[in-house]
Amino acid sequence: MIIQEMVDILQAEVVAGATKVDNVINGGYASDLLSNVMSQAKTGDIWVTMHAHQNIVAVASLLGLSAVIIAGHVQPDKEAINKADAEEIPLLTTALSVFEVVGLLYSKGVKGV
Amino acid sequence: MRQFVADLHVHSVLSPCAEVEMTPRNIVWHAARHGIDIVAITDHNACDNVTAALAAAKGTNVIILPGMEVETKEEVHIIVLFEKMRQLKAWEQFVYEHMSGRLNDEKRFGAQFVVDAEDELIRVKPEMLLTSLSCSMAEVCTKVNDLGGICIASHVDRPANSLIAQLGFIPPDVELAAVEISRLIRPQEAIRRFPTIGNLPIVTSSDAHTIADFLSGPKTIFNIEAPTLHEIQQALKGQNSRKVVIQ
Repeated sequence: MIIQEMVDILQAEVVAGATKVDNVINGGYASDLLSNVMSQAKTGDIWVTMHAHQNIVAVASLLGLSAVIIAGHVQPDKEAINKADAEEIPLLTTALSVFEVVGLLYSKGVKGV
Repeated sequence: MRQFVADLHVHSVLSPCAEVEMTPRNIVWHAARHGIDIVAITDHNACDNVTAALAAAKGTNVIILPGMEVETKEEVHIIVLFEKMRQLKAWEQFVYEHMSGRLNDEKRFGAQFVVDAEDELIRVKPEMLLTSLSCSMAEVCTKVNDLGGICIASHVDRPANSLIAQLGFIPPDVELAAVEISRLIRPQEAIRRFPTIGNLPIVTSSDAHTIADFLSGPKTIFNIEAPTLHEIQQALKGQNSRKVVIQ
């Protein structure tokens, strides 16, 4: 599955990194502790978080994540958007909660391990 | 030049998680008897007891630095310190503008007492202090630096509310004077385990919520001319022969 297919399912908006919406989703990870994400998430994962700080882009880029979805109606900082465009990391926002996002991803076959 | 023993992170009875024994007068009394020269009173998102601490320290050898432990919207804890009370009052205004609007639940989180220099209760602070403000870490650091204060990232080695745990590494748009490590780790180990601290100076403080914590907890020694924030800033930068020594 690619990121573009998830956009509709998650009622999401692509706010940055739109050039890479054909990234393939290998799996998923959810956490708001960036130190934890750095040690646990895997390349190709879609990362579900409520963090909107620019450091999420650095972490996603470092790990080669397929996208970051910011849940719960949280809007990323301007710096985060600019950085995600520059690093070509898709940033998605949605009004759905983290719980709903993870549930929907799981129901479409995206697994955590 | 002489050595000053400093504890730059101490909670008073205003912090809901601190014991009632942490009155400004009692903190100063213990500092004076145990050779703690400089104490920063750093309550969560509030500073109502700093005035009482300054008053209680009058006539003693203890110097009180006006401060606060701020929780940013990323849920990162930052110690902010100022030279003067009026700078801290200006900072407090910024904090009020970024509060959640929620009220404290004393039964669940603990009471928030504002007291005077004689331990008399002045009032109970109603705002919920143990929560994040709506401003980012970068906004906090910029504002504090503009007001002439300094920012120190709290207990970066701990799993909760630390800059390293929450954000992974120090963002490029954040200007810190130092990072604080807790009593659980030594500086050399901190540098090894958290290489993203980089070249920032390290301080260690008690983060006391009880008098026992305050007396047994780690301190930082500054080799400085006088017990002022300006001198501490120079020590953190290693300027003019001022130095930081971790106890």
